[in-house]
Amino acid sequence: MHTKTEGIILKYILIVLLSVHLFAVDAVLKIEKDVEQRSRIALVDGSSVVNPKFFSILLSDFKISGHFLADSTKYKGEIGSNLMDPALKSKEYIVKYALNQSSGSKLSIRLLKASTGSEIFQKNYSIPSKSKIPFLAHKAVSDINNALNYTDISWLNRYVVFSRYTASRKSEIVLADYTFNYTKVIIRGGLNLFPKWADEKQKSFYYTSYASLYPTLYKINIYSGVKKKIVSSEGMLVCTDVSNNGTKLLLTMAPNGQPDIYEFNVASNVKKRVTKFNGIDVSGKYNHSENAVLFVSNRLGYANIFKKPIDGTAISQVVHHGRNNNACDTHGDKLVYSSRESTKSFGNNKFNLYLASSNGLGTRPLTTTGTNQFPRFSTDGSVVLFIKHSDYGSSIGYTNLQSHQSLLFPLGVKKIQSLDW
Amino acid sequence: MKKNMIITVITALLLVGCSQKAPDLNGYGNVSDVNEIAGDTVSVDESNGEGNSESIDRESNGMNSSSDGFQSIYFDFDDFTLSSGMENSMDRNRQVANSKSQRVKIEGNCDEFGTDEYNYALGLKRAKAVKDGLTAQGVDASRIVMITFGESSPLCSSPTDECYAKNRRVDLRLVP
Repeated sequence: MHTKTEGIILKYILIVLLSVHLFAVDAVLKIEKDVEQRSRIALVDGSSVVNPKFFSILLSDFKISGHFLADSTKYKGEIGSNLMDPALKSKEYIVKYALNQSSGSKLSIRLLKASTGSEIFQKNYSIPSKSKIPFLAHKAVSDINNALNYTDISWLNRYVVFSRYTASRKSEIVLADYTFNYTKVIIRGGLNLFPKWADEKQKSFYYTSYASLYPTLYKINIYSGVKKKIVSSEGMLVCTDVSNNGTKLLLTMAPNGQPDIYEFNVASNVKKRVTKFNGIDVSGKYNHSENAVLFVSNRLGYANIFKKPIDGTAISQVVHHGRNNNACDTHGDKLVYSSRESTKSFGNNKFNLYLASSNGLGTRPLTTTGTNQFPRFSTDGSVVLFIKHSDYGSSIGYTNLQSHQSLLFPLGVKKIQSLDW
Repeated sequence: MKKNMIITVITALLLVGCSQKAPDLNGYGNVSDVNEIAGDTVSVDESNGEGNSESIDRESNGMNSSSDGFQSIYFDFDDFTLSSGMENSMDRNRQVANSKSQRVKIEGNCDEFGTDEYNYALGLKRAKAVKDGLTAQGVDASRIVMITFGESSPLCSSPTDECYAKNRRVDLRLVP
């Protein structure tokens, strides 16, 4: 009897402790979301020639990560020294770095514990192209983040691909880092639109060419320039999403003048019509493990977000807010959409972004001022990219959904047509 | 014995619960090429394949951006229905289409105030409305091809409603 009681007690203790341990994981996530709990960090520049732009990029990377409260003061100091400026003792971590651009671009970076000066992380980076210096900052910050075992932020290292108008019926497709400090034209001349990454590694992207009578979808490798024709369609043709394994595409096609969502098998070239509506169905995004599609439709007389199983017929309205929700993106169970909140027939209309679950619940605004369009999730769904037009000019913006930290980077005067991250 | 076992289990679980992966301590001298982005990307020039991207000759056509005798059809803001005010132009377009043997290309256009893809679809619906109007008046549907240019082909960019109204249009022209 005594043994049996002890056994029951042991069992309960185990259950309680396991529960505490499980909840402790949530507690860690909760702490990461808490602004006050982010790691206080300062940057100390040990470069022989100071590069203010590089400092700004490092600072932006730490801020948008959601894991750091970065001091915007520019401190100077020897990178090799472990001595701490007394003013930095209030920080948790100190990042010491030195950028050398005398031949190529080289970056040395160290992460020190502020209280003791002990080194936690050190790494040297080099890249042949000086124009790609922003990527040195992004890679170093994502490595420091990983060294501290924070949630991965390797989306910092990704390219943004976008098309922008250069003149009437003229455009170019451009690669950029997420801050747009690095940009390079990949396709110039002609009218080429709607770039969409074809693979997780960002080696190729799809785009729509207007070089022929009918819009034609091509896939181009950004390193070799090898181009492959995928499909063409009368009217319009846009690749709006790519399946995780890259074998299937969601296309907006209009072979009979009706823009509808199609699923296209890349290997077999077989297309399957997913929606059939005598109006506008566009912007199909995979949802529900690629068994359903979220899309924009005017089937209620105005643009709104709807959901449909790829092989079923039931169509459900997802968003029950706003009167003109004409662009969206999805990540897992998350939906972000832009909603037009003014109806001027000319001039800047007010567009705001909203975050919701893919069943439309839990809607919350992400922006409140200006014209905010082109919402795109980061690969991990933790950050939303968008284009903002306001009285102060046009910018590319990012908002961290957990830390609510937002950043804006100025854009040039050319109008962006479409983009992907 | 049992008491010792309980204490051992509790201690072990507490240690697991409090454990934190040690920071990755890398040594000096390691070099990363940042391989993911170090590679040189191409720059492709597609100016030769102009095709549909030829600019409209505004000088010779004035504000009517159609060609070959056709007349452009205009639409209301965010709308793709043919208005009664366009009846004369549609009738003129029917006559021109039926007097030629070539195919007729119908190009849908929008002002710049929509968002990317939806705007292109709106342009296409405008082109479809003109095609349906022509075929209802006897033009052979197989001779008609449609394309949308969305907001990429503005005729006017002054900040006035009259100007932007010119961009909410469908142009028609002959193609071989």
